[in-house]
Amino acid sequence: MSLLQRLRPLFSNRLFSNRLFSDTLFKRLMLLMWVALVASHFLSFAAVRGAADGLGNGPPMGSPAPGNDGMGVPPLSSLPPGLLPEGGPQRPGPGSAGPGGPPPPMQPGRPPGGAPPMRSLWLDYLVRFLVIGGAAWWGAQWLSQPMRRLADASRALGQAIAQRRPAPTLDEHAGTREVRQAAQVFNTMAQRLHEQFGAQGLLMAAISHDLRTPLARLRLRLETMEPGAQTERCIADLQEMDALIGSVLSMLRDQHAPQARQRVDLRALLQAQVDDRVEQGLAVRIADDSGGEAVVLAQSEALGRILGNLIGNALRHAGSAELSLRGHPRELELCIDDHGPGIPEDQLETVFRPFYRVASSGGSGLGLYIARDLAERLGGHLTLSNRPEGGLRARLLLPRA
Amino acid sequence: MIHVLLVDDDLDLRQLVSDYLQRYGMRVTAVADAASLRRVLRAGLGGPDPFKVLLLDLMLPDGNGLDLFRWVREIAPLPVIMLTAQGDPASRVVGLELGADDYLPKPFEPRELVARIHAVLRRAGAAPVAAPTATVLQFAGWTFDRLRRQLTSPQQVVVALSSAEFRLLSAFVDHPNRVLSRDQLLDLTRAPGAEVTDRSIDLTVSRLRQKLDEPNLIRTVRGEGYLFNGNDGGARA
Repeated sequence: MSLLQRLRPLFSNRLFSNRLFSDTLFKRLMLLMWVALVASHFLSFAAVRGAADGLGNGPPMGSPAPGNDGMGVPPLSSLPPGLLPEGGPQRPGPGSAGPGGPPPPMQPGRPPGGAPPMRSLWLDYLVRFLVIGGAAWWGAQWLSQPMRRLADASRALGQAIAQRRPAPTLDEHAGTREVRQAAQVFNTMAQRLHEQFGAQGLLMAAISHDLRTPLARLRLRLETMEPGAQTERCIADLQEMDALIGSVLSMLRDQHAPQARQRVDLRALLQAQVDDRVEQGLAVRIADDSGGEAVVLAQSEALGRILGNLIGNALRHAGSAELSLRGHPRELELCIDDHGPGIPEDQLETVFRPFYRVASSGGSGLGLYIARDLAERLGGHLTLSNRPEGGLRARLLLPRA
Repeated sequence: MIHVLLVDDDLDLRQLVSDYLQRYGMRVTAVADAASLRRVLRAGLGGPDPFKVLLLDLMLPDGNGLDLFRWVREIAPLPVIMLTAQGDPASRVVGLELGADDYLPKPFEPRELVARIHAVLRRAGAAPVAAPTATVLQFAGWTFDRLRRQLTSPQQVVVALSSAEFRLLSAFVDHPNRVLSRDQLLDLTRAPGAEVTDRSIDLTVSRLRQKLDEPNLIRTVRGEGYLFNGNDGGARA
């Protein structure tokens, strides 16, 4: 086997060739910088030369160096010889890497620099500035555009997960190797997040669901026992657990399969909720209604659950609830007030955390969390405050349809 | 003796339900999965002691409960009560829309199960040829969805109804163009846990008129009662 044959696999190795010929950011930038350097060189020389010629009178002050009559590219500086201002050092700096020509001959006997050489120098700088600037801008696009796309996609991912839509994807075949790799990593991550949230939801639904069969068994077993205060309490406990499972399930359902939005008459909903409770002998009333037309875009059920949770809270803590509906140009304001003990100021936000309960409050600890979650899905806001006259106010702002 | 067919994949629950229903003079045949249900139901169809009611769990290990339900509907005129742990309004609507006679979420109050079985049998006895009541009705541009308990205005705005309003409107659409006295309305809108009085009927009628925004739909017939003007007829959607 010849050496060449032995080497062939090495060269045909994908990784190797990938690395050798792949479109990396380094290679792009390297090439761009080099092209920009050469271009700025040529352009500024041409510009200065043109400007010098444009000044008229043939060769300007001082005669050009022999052999450097403008036909060729000056080896180090684009400034045509003789246009250098006085004292302008012609040191071949390491940066001005011309194609390695000899340094221009020093011209000791030049007249002191006047306006035209100075202007030429500025022109030279300006042209170089523009060319390098343009190249830098272009090069920056290779980096900033993918970054922007990544930022946009990340933002969309957050929303997609919140609304249970399929995760957004990035183009895995455009851009430099680094960009394509980042896109692949992002897509994998987004997909995994999406699946994880989906699986988590299914898992929780399954757990909640499987809890109900044992609850049903327990309920039937209680029927075989002597009726008494203890069994009554057991039944109440069962009902409480079932209600908790129900609210977890409905929360998951809202998150996983949000229903289509409809135009909903908020006043009718409010009235219906209040009437239902009045029929059960509960102290709920509408204290103030000056909302005018009150139509919002929402899932009727979700809206009903927000109101139900808030009214239920007021009833549990204060035994009564007063509702008011006010209209603003762009939104509707719904307040649920009670005359209960209120909530310590430092807990007004923490009570929105799932399973957080103010001491001795009863309830599942999910009501407010679910209510705020649903309100925000509807583009609304839910806040709590202690009323100056005592009691708690839950304030729900919803955009008009 | 009422012969009940129970399908549930949980052994203990089958046993407990059977024991409990026996106390109320029912005989229970319990099976664990869809395959056994198909077998038992086919075998029992022409038998001397036919099943009177089916208690069906929608989540069975072998096969979709809804498919099974459709199969049962094709093969036997058997009242079906769905028992399920899903228990959310949406699945209740799906179950009832498919034509289940009732729907009971787990965990249920045992006495409630007995009451529902009796109610379903009463209804089945009263109307041997099951004529399902229209679930979606339309009148004067309004859409009234009884399963979702939802009223939609001609402008496509959802107008929520309280329980009392829902019961009253249901009574009205079931008896269109007929004067209903307050006593009749009291009977038709009775509900457990709700105290219905003459005054509450009047109040609910005025609320309903407000929501319907058309005073002529529900007319007051002086000295007699109320009349629902359902001229469009109860078009079923």
